[in-house]
Amino acid sequence: MGERITIDPITRIEGHMRVEVEVAGGKVVNAWSSAQMFRGIELILQGRDPRDAPLFVQRSCGV
Amino acid sequence: MAVGVEIPENARIIRNLLMGAQFQHDHIVHFYHLHALDWVDIVSAITKADPAKTAALADNVSNAQVGGAAYYKQVQQRLKTFVDSGQLGPFSNAYWGHSAYQLPPEANLMATAHYLEALKLQARAARMHAIFGAKNPHLQTLAIGGVTCVRDLKPDRIAEFLYLWKETQAFIRDVYIPDLLAVASFYKEWGSIGGTTNFMAWGEFPESDQEPDSLFMPRGVMMKRDLAGVKMADQEKVTEYVTRSWYEDGGAKHPYEGETKPVQEDPKYNPDKGKYTWFKAPRYTDEPCEVGPLARVLVAYGYGHKEVKAVVDSVLKQLGIPAAALFSTLGRTAARGIETLVIGERMETWINALIANVKKGDTATYQAWKMPDKGMGFGLNDVPRGSLGHWIKIEGGKIKQYQYVVPSTWNLGPRDDKGKPGPLEEALIGTPVADPKQPLEILRTVHSFDPCVACGVHVIDPDSNEVYKVRAV
Repeated sequence: MGERITIDPITRIEGHMRVEVEVAGGKVVNAWSSAQMFRGIELILQGRDPRDAPLFVQRSCGV
Repeated sequence: MAVGVEIPENARIIRNLLMGAQFQHDHIVHFYHLHALDWVDIVSAITKADPAKTAALADNVSNAQVGGAAYYKQVQQRLKTFVDSGQLGPFSNAYWGHSAYQLPPEANLMATAHYLEALKLQARAARMHAIFGAKNPHLQTLAIGGVTCVRDLKPDRIAEFLYLWKETQAFIRDVYIPDLLAVASFYKEWGSIGGTTNFMAWGEFPESDQEPDSLFMPRGVMMKRDLAGVKMADQEKVTEYVTRSWYEDGGAKHPYEGETKPVQEDPKYNPDKGKYTWFKAPRYTDEPCEVGPLARVLVAYGYGHKEVKAVVDSVLKQLGIPAAALFSTLGRTAARGIETLVIGERMETWINALIANVKKGDTATYQAWKMPDKGMGFGLNDVPRGSLGHWIKIEGGKIKQYQYVVPSTWNLGPRDDKGKPGPLEEALIGTPVADPKQPLEILRTVHSFDPCVACGVHVIDPDSNEVYKVRAV
């Protein structure tokens, strides 16, 4: 089994992300990508007026 | 769609202009401020570059409006003063001097100078959003049935938009694309690193009320890198898995039936056998798909899209690389520049169409509609980072069910029930790592996807104002 490298947090991105890789022989042989925050806007929207949805959901991604 | 309304033509054009401006702004910021430092060594630019030689290089490859030996000397001096002050600011947290940096010092200085120019330019580009969207980000003028920027369909506002668009597009054409080609020419081996297998685009920029036929960036799916086999994409074929995500297990579900049931205990980070992320694992016909600039460009290229094909072929020719090299980290970063140029150019026709409408007295921006007691629908778009789908069910005039599958979930999602990795996880395999303590090469591929993980909701206790962080370690 190779060496494990964890980059957490990844910088120069939007948000909180972690990447873990396994390196063997100078190359990545396995990788795991992990989002570190829960979104949950789907739950907030339940029971609301559908006209609210565009303004709520754009908060999850301004771009 | 869930309420059955057709928006007026002006609303469609303004939405396209806002989205086009978003592509211009977002991709410039990504290339220079989020990704360039993976390839450009600032320390080499400051300590080793010769300003006169940098000016000669820039004259040769770039059409930037600023340049000359004095300019580059001044940029270098400014950076030196900044670094000597002990505050690295945006240049902290990097692996300067790493052996994988391959640009000559002068190319490093040219790109660093343009990093600073791009900072100024992006602030102006964002003003396009202020005109028709009220602000950037989080536009305020998008409404079901049209847009609400009624008072901005005036000659002075449209002219202001036109001039900002011109300035931004000139930067893309004269600085961004030449820099992209100059930097890429030193990193051609990245044309065989960081590729994935399947690609999907919902498409964007409808040029009539006929969707998906009129989408300027087309809708399609391409499996197993088969450029000749691009097919129309269908939202019915989307499912999401949660087996490896911090949600209660429940099998693959289409978003209409999708659930958001976070695990109730503290989430345990278990990448080897268990759950390890808040992202679900989206699949198309049960396969992971990369979305975003590379997917859009490949789908368009596969269809023989005139404008996209011309720019792709020209870029491949100038770099002296085959089309197969597009399936890579280099291809992903190049595709982002390619589509910025193509979409940016197309925006002029939309601006002209808006002017023509206003001239003939057509200023309609909104179509009234009635909330149904019951209904369901979906919205498919392609935003700068990739394919975005929203699915809604309405009952009793309220939201009964809502799910959305965003670009970064497609690209950065985890393994599925069969252990098949997500696109980023696949792309990283085979990446060379010269120094495990300085994993610069990994950042190159991660950043090439332009990750956006900001969709986390920060839970705040209203009494203590304490922000609860979900610790996953």
